Amino acid sequence: MIDFKDASVTYPGGVHALRNLTLQIPEGEMVVIVGLSGAGKSTLIRAINGLVPLTGGEVTVDRRSVTKAKGSELRKIRSRIGMIFQTFNLVKRTTVLNNVLMGRLHATPTWRSLVGRYRAEDVEIAMRALERVGIVEKAYVRAANLSGGQAQRVGIARALAQEPKIILADEPVASLDPPTSHVVMRDLQRINRESGITTIINLHFLDLAKVYGDRIVGMRDGRLVYDGTGAEADENVFRDIYGRSLTADDLLEATAAR
Amino acid sequence: MTSASLAGPAERPAKPPRSLLVPAGIAAFLLITYWSVSAEFGIGLDLGEIFKDLGRGQIILADVLRPNFDFFERTIPSMLETIQMAIIATAIGCSIALPASFLASRVTSPNALVLRVDRGVLNVIRALPDLLYGMIFVAAVSIGPLAGILALILFNLGVIAKLLSETIDGVDVGPIEAARASGADRVETVRTAVYPQVLPNYVAFSLYVFELNIRASTVLGLVGAGGIGNLLNLQIGFFNYSNVGFIILELFLLVFVIELVSISLRRRLV
Repeated sequence: MIDFKDASVTYPGGVHALRNLTLQIPEGEMVVIVGLSGAGKSTLIRAINGLVPLTGGEVTVDRRSVTKAKGSELRKIRSRIGMIFQTFNLVKRTTVLNNVLMGRLHATPTWRSLVGRYRAEDVEIAMRALERVGIVEKAYVRAANLSGGQAQRVGIARALAQEPKIILADEPVASLDPPTSHVVMRDLQRINRESGITTIINLHFLDLAKVYGDRIVGMRDGRLVYDGTGAEADENVFRDIYGRSLTADDLLEATAAR
Repeated sequence: MTSASLAGPAERPAKPPRSLLVPAGIAAFLLITYWSVSAEFGIGLDLGEIFKDLGRGQIILADVLRPNFDFFERTIPSMLETIQMAIIATAIGCSIALPASFLASRVTSPNALVLRVDRGVLNVIRALPDLLYGMIFVAAVSIGPLAGILALILFNLGVIAKLLSETIDGVDVGPIEAARASGADRVETVRTAVYPQVLPNYVAFSLYVFELNIRASTVLGLVGAGGIGNLLNLQIGFFNYSNVGFIILELFLLVFVIELVSISLRRRLV
């Protein structure tokens, strides 16, 4: 259970990225957050694992306060939250397996990571994570030699290797072509259904949001402006979230057709 | 369709006035150069002096250009000492430089205080030339290769930490965010997200300072800090310029070969 209580983030320079947000996400849900760039989607997601600290209010994950946590306590909370990024954030100069093993760092003694000797059981967990996203044959390939879709699946495997209770995905398909986008979104959906991992995804394509979001949260100017099912979210709702009429740029399929 | 293409051509801006910065800079440069050269204010440079004593130089030059190849056997121990000094100094200097570089980069330093102290110490180390270190260590631990090795270690630390910390400043920070988000601590983050990104550069920089160490050891020998420089100094003292010529030739070949190997290795790395 993720619980935002009156949460606010004001960046130095005075930008209000999050304004008095109150939001609850129960265990096992698949939530898609939509909104224009600058609406506060990335800030919302990064507030959950404390990468962006709140300037007001509180976020708790399973009743533990992320806002108050520091040092090893914060790392412990983070270890149970996997994260997937728009630009994959892989270390390109090392192998796929080493990248996935990054997800085991929280369970690895520091001296072991220093000499690069992971425990056999951690390597096994990493291999199984690669198998779940169907890319285990690339385990010993350098990450630089992957296509975008492959790289994002390695990113998902790295998150899975943490054996997380929650997965956060910040625009996971924004750097991918439409067919690959669907593959990655289906992977995330399957993992959510199979393992009951709470999944929170930022998207800016509305059609993807409607297809994959059991629940859609609309953000505008740092405020929550919609919270409902994907089925209920019609064109009027999106117009409200975006504050303007919709264009072809807001749809993945229409963008792809051009 | 964009509306800009329909609006018609915008009015072209007037050409901004020409800046006086460039001519002023050139004038200042010429003035400062005159100030340095002139007999009145500066060192009083007189190029005529080159030719005045040309005859004396010719005798030395003629001997240097007739290298004494029989001297080879006597240079072997000194040459080996030079190479061994360079290897030891590179190994130790580069090992210390690695953690020092991580502390000296904004990206990986734990806090502003550590960053500033580490950078400050490294700046001081780099400010002094290797020859001065050689003189200091000869005074401290007496003449011999140990003084030279200590001087080279400080020199290597300064060079590598400067180059490597600037490389670390430019790494892709995405993997760092990924490691932090997974619950990794600071050391683990640096080891897994940053170190693999800069490893090829680190090896390349280490090869480069090894090259510099071979060269530097000739100068260090002049102050008694061991290596081929000692022998060179001795032969100059004996006015044995054919032997000096041979040592110069030998050094030239050694540096040339090491540079060839190092360049080809570095090209494969980065």
